[in-house]
Amino acid sequence: MSEADFKELKKGGMMRQAEAGLFSVRLHVVGGRLATPQLRAIREAADRFGRGEIHLTARQGVEIPHVRQDALAAVKEFLAPSGVGVGVCGPTIRTVTACQGCRVCPSGVIDSPELADMVDRELYGKPVPHKFKVGISGCVNNCMKAEENDVGIKGWIDPRWESPACTFCGVCEAVCPTKAIILSAGDGKLVIDPALCIGCGDCITSCPTGNMREMNRGYRVFAGGKFGRRPSLGRRILGVLGTKEEAMASILAVLDFFREHGKPRERFGDTLLRTGFPALETFVTGRTGLP
Amino acid sequence: MTTPQMDITGDVCPMTFVKVKMGLQRVPPLGTLTVRLKEEALKNVISSLKTEGHRVTNVSREEGNFLLEVTKAG
Repeated sequence: MSEADFKELKKGGMMRQAEAGLFSVRLHVVGGRLATPQLRAIREAADRFGRGEIHLTARQGVEIPHVRQDALAAVKEFLAPSGVGVGVCGPTIRTVTACQGCRVCPSGVIDSPELADMVDRELYGKPVPHKFKVGISGCVNNCMKAEENDVGIKGWIDPRWESPACTFCGVCEAVCPTKAIILSAGDGKLVIDPALCIGCGDCITSCPTGNMREMNRGYRVFAGGKFGRRPSLGRRILGVLGTKEEAMASILAVLDFFREHGKPRERFGDTLLRTGFPALETFVTGRTGLP
Repeated sequence: MTTPQMDITGDVCPMTFVKVKMGLQRVPPLGTLTVRLKEEALKNVISSLKTEGHRVTNVSREEGNFLLEVTKAG
């Protein structure tokens, strides 16, 4: 088998192992969710074609290791009827990770699995200059580590202060974890620094008078993050987006930018080091019309 | 009638709110209870009170702590 053949197999989720002739078969999982019939099929496949072992990957994926080369087609065929597809590797859009989101988690602000499915349907396995990861956290507790991904999304609550009944008690200022709120009771003013605000909504939940309210609740987009050998954190772009469609549009625009400016085998964060971050922001705003 | 007072500056979550709840049991509906607490306890205590329908009707500071006047749900 040639190196080119191995590369093609890898793109299709069949990764050559250190031991010759064996492969680890990556499966298609979205947001770490599997139905029990799928899990049963995966167990059966691992018993039949592997060594009865399943590997849970770092990004909510599932792999069946120790599959012989001559059994690769059979594994794929065996799993297909249960709705378990084979995954991807190489310069493609990778597994979309997600938490359980607002339908399950009391802290959730957005429906992360819903957006993950949408991104997956539209983009999974599509070619890009280098591997591209999307991760979705339902709130700013950020279990899915949005800033580690090429594009990360976080559920976010933007507060708005309304003056009429505010007693300037100082609770919001005291509970704000980033000291984004500056109160000056003397002038009857309260300022929220949007650059410091992390969208947790603590000021809203703890306001005794109800004068701190939600202005926006939605999707906050981070771009350019990665881990690996030289980790860097994604930075936020755009305002808080109100719908999953807007979040999707922003991801598509970021990808257009990457395809236009990225070099082969260059992670998106490195592309941004060359182009500068403002170039991405201008591009995405221009492309989507989003604030 | 004097407003009953309680001090939870020595407690940590979740005992902070548990004690406030116990304190409120001694207060009639729409009666008030004054709670002395540390800054760290503000968020959880106030949000739990609001969730249960009580209201924080006054907030003041006292030597680095906060004093909440809590009005019990009707």
